Amino acid sequence: MTKLEAIIQPSRFEAVKEVLAELGVEGMTISDVRGHGRQKGHTEVYRGREYTVDLVPKIKLEMVLADNLVNAAVDAIVQSAGTGKIGDGKIFLSKVDEAIRIRNHERGVAAL
Amino acid sequence: MLANSAISQDAYQAGSEKIRGRFERSHDGQAAIRERSDVTDSLLAELWNQFSTGSPDRICVAALGGYGRRALFPCSDVDVLFLHESALSEDAQRRVIPRVSQALWDLHLRVSPTTRSLAECGKLHRDNLEFNISLLDCRYLCGEADLFEKLRLQVIPKMVAREALELQQRLIDLTSARHTKYGHTIFHLEPNIKDCPGGLRDYQVACWLSLISELEKTGAWPAPENLLPSALRAECGAALDFLSAVRCFLHYRQGRDLNNLTYELQSEAAAAGIGLPGGVAATAAVWMRTYFRHVRSIYRLTVLFDEVPPGRSGLYRLFENRKSRLSNADFSVVEGRVFLRQLSSVKDPSILFGLFEFVGRHGLKLTAETERCVEAALPSLREWAHDSPEVWSYFRQILMSPHAGAALRAMHRLGVLVLLFPEFQAVDSLVIRDYYHRYTVDEHSLVAIENIHALRTPDSEIERRFRDILEGLERPDLLFLALLFHDVGKGMPSDDHVAASLQASASVLERLRLDPAERETVVFLIANHLRMSATTRRQDIFDVNVVAEFSECVGTTERLKMLTLLTYTDVKSVNPEALTPWKAEMLWQLYAAAFNHLSRSVDDQRLTSSATNSERIKEVVAAAGEPDARHITSFLEGFPKRYLLMHTPGEIVTHCRMYDSLKVKDEEPQIEVLRRDGYFELVLLTLDCPGLFSHVVGTLSSWGMNILKAEAFANKAGVVLDTFRFSDRFRTLELNPSEISRLKRKLAEAVSGEINVVDLMETKFKPGVQNPKVKIETSVQADNSCSQHSTLLEIIAQDRPGLLYDISSTMAELGCNIEVAIIDTQGQTATDVFHVTCAGAKLDPRHQEKVRTALLAQL
Repeated sequence: MTKLEAIIQPSRFEAVKEVLAELGVEGMTISDVRGHGRQKGHTEVYRGREYTVDLVPKIKLEMVLADNLVNAAVDAIVQSAGTGKIGDGKIFLSKVDEAIRIRNHERGVAAL
Repeated sequence: MLANSAISQDAYQAGSEKIRGRFERSHDGQAAIRERSDVTDSLLAELWNQFSTGSPDRICVAALGGYGRRALFPCSDVDVLFLHESALSEDAQRRVIPRVSQALWDLHLRVSPTTRSLAECGKLHRDNLEFNISLLDCRYLCGEADLFEKLRLQVIPKMVAREALELQQRLIDLTSARHTKYGHTIFHLEPNIKDCPGGLRDYQVACWLSLISELEKTGAWPAPENLLPSALRAECGAALDFLSAVRCFLHYRQGRDLNNLTYELQSEAAAAGIGLPGGVAATAAVWMRTYFRHVRSIYRLTVLFDEVPPGRSGLYRLFENRKSRLSNADFSVVEGRVFLRQLSSVKDPSILFGLFEFVGRHGLKLTAETERCVEAALPSLREWAHDSPEVWSYFRQILMSPHAGAALRAMHRLGVLVLLFPEFQAVDSLVIRDYYHRYTVDEHSLVAIENIHALRTPDSEIERRFRDILEGLERPDLLFLALLFHDVGKGMPSDDHVAASLQASASVLERLRLDPAERETVVFLIANHLRMSATTRRQDIFDVNVVAEFSECVGTTERLKMLTLLTYTDVKSVNPEALTPWKAEMLWQLYAAAFNHLSRSVDDQRLTSSATNSERIKEVVAAAGEPDARHITSFLEGFPKRYLLMHTPGEIVTHCRMYDSLKVKDEEPQIEVLRRDGYFELVLLTLDCPGLFSHVVGTLSSWGMNILKAEAFANKAGVVLDTFRFSDRFRTLELNPSEISRLKRKLAEAVSGEINVVDLMETKFKPGVQNPKVKIETSVQADNSCSQHSTLLEIIAQDRPGLLYDISSTMAELGCNIEVAIIDTQGQTATDVFHVTCAGAKLDPRHQEKVRTALLAQL
């Protein structure tokens, strides 16, 4: 099992969700987050006052997948979240030792 | 387990099964709880006879609380009182009472036994007030009947007569604590039907308060059916029937005294038609609508709770009593509640609306009597409400009041809102069932208006930013009106609720007799109320093209401000957690980006002759009544697109006529000064000349006028159209209307150079007292990248009389020609945007710095 975390542009969320659903990814956790990578922030002026947008809004998706789904999910996210611009986001993958469904104590892929 | 209780056990279980079976067929909750009480009565009598034989004590067994009222829900506690007069023998304490209780426990009845003497029942138990309250529902079961008679006819009435006020106050305090726990609202996604505001407990509290009051006054027990005010009895009775059925359903379904109506159980109850006429199945949304309507009826009873003098702290009472000073000729205020000085006075619409405006202005409550009078007056107001030109002027005062939410909620509760706007009935208690929308649609609209007003006392930096936007709005009343009707289409048979809301609000705007510009604003807001939210969610708000496209759709900064606030409050009012700081930040960033785009791109967004096909120009041509559009388009050509959006077709036609006169009358400046609601408006149309803007500003300032807003545009033919909105500081024009003609003459002379404006300012200008409450730092920004052919100068400064003259004359002295000016005042902050050129080109960096330095020195 692999944990996939993806940080994407909010505007691409609907498209990403759709392709993941088509792949059969049934569960995921979504969070509204703020942050920056190399994109850093920028300064805006509104009514004569400067304000710094140092943390830009992003959406974070988290899901644990059976290993045979991982490559397809990564490809789908890259395709649907990519605009070619700085700030498109990142995907992180990490191994997961165990998953347990609290309700019925199922373990492993069955618990996903 | 006691062997002798086997017969009782079988009879009880058989009886209980029959009751459940009957409930599942009939869904009659009231019958079920009555029958369960009766079965339990028989059981207790049997057990008592069995175990009390041979006991030397005189004991009476009485039912208390819900059981006492013959309202024993399937899994509710069975409250039993063992009442005695003298000290109990050891036999009674160790054998009789424990065995009866034990037998009941063995039957899985949650018995709650209490043993008290008559003397103890006559005391107020401050640490266990629930016991005193439960005595109010006492009912004889078995044992010594004369003891019960003493309890009911002597002990309780005496205790109540002595302690009535404290009992009532403590009951109110307990209720208030319970309501606080549930956020003082009936609207919950998974309500507790017993304890939530508007639940069964509130019904009972109203009955207890009335009972205590009657017992105190007369010493006699009133009939239970007469406890509630007659006007509310039928509605509340129906609500009680509904909730009783639902609570029975919840108990039977879960096998425990759990009263939370969960999302899943809502669906099950709806499918079973619980509480609905004929037990016909309904969708969960329809069923929940019925639930909210019933709960609202019971919640109305809480107005009776306010009749109890508060037992609050001295400080609180001092605060409430301060409100008494608000009393006026029509209303008196006592303990934060409004009484009518003359009960029938609300038949006069001005007093009726004045009442709600009063509530909205001061955040007061109505008394039960005032509410009754309002309801009684409504039939006589029906005709007036449908055909009076005064409705809008009254209603907008209510919308603008700081506690408008409370006032509108009271109007809705009493039927005034639907009387004025039958369209609103479509969303009455309408449920959007998606586990996200906490409020019904009508409540959502009222909460939205409440949340906008709450911005005036912001709690965070982001709220302060939205507050600043609100403070700069010219017509917040139109925003509030749009908010009230933005979702009304959700209650109509249409797949597109925005279109349906527009259709419904069209007749409202017609009846309110709003002028075309006002209607256009409300229609724009309703039509686009999902747009900004969708843009932040689905598009990249840092993409300049997205910002440009969104800004083009919005058109003007004034509309942008209103749409931003509407979106802010629309999202925030879905549920208390819906507007996360993340979403608020996104919304504000889109607002700031669009605001900058609109104010900086105005010089580049010009009307061309090819724009004749635009809908807007067609409207102007139609308003002018001219078959040929060319005359209109030749006037419009070269004006910024903003001009077209800032003025109604009627105003544009007027300007076009002034343009015709300018040509006919040998280029004589065309000037109009119009009196508006609270300010004056100057429209000047003339050929461009150096220092023109400064000359007009100087003339107005020397006459003591304070310029609030201004715009200066020029068309392709070099004709300048300046509009100024100003307040008359010394009421010169207001008190001497003939002075308007003289002001126009002076303006014409200033424009044509016949009088020296510099001299005028030196001799006539009165700066007034300078005592700003907030210090605004001056900032001057120059930018050559915003326009293809002009330099943008954005000036932020402390507002004061004569400020605009200082700015414009400084720019004129330094050779700046104003192409476009947009002047705005927000509180004590003046925000002035100029697009300037020098000899037809942008200002070079040196020139920019010179202007910047001169302006900073001057301001």
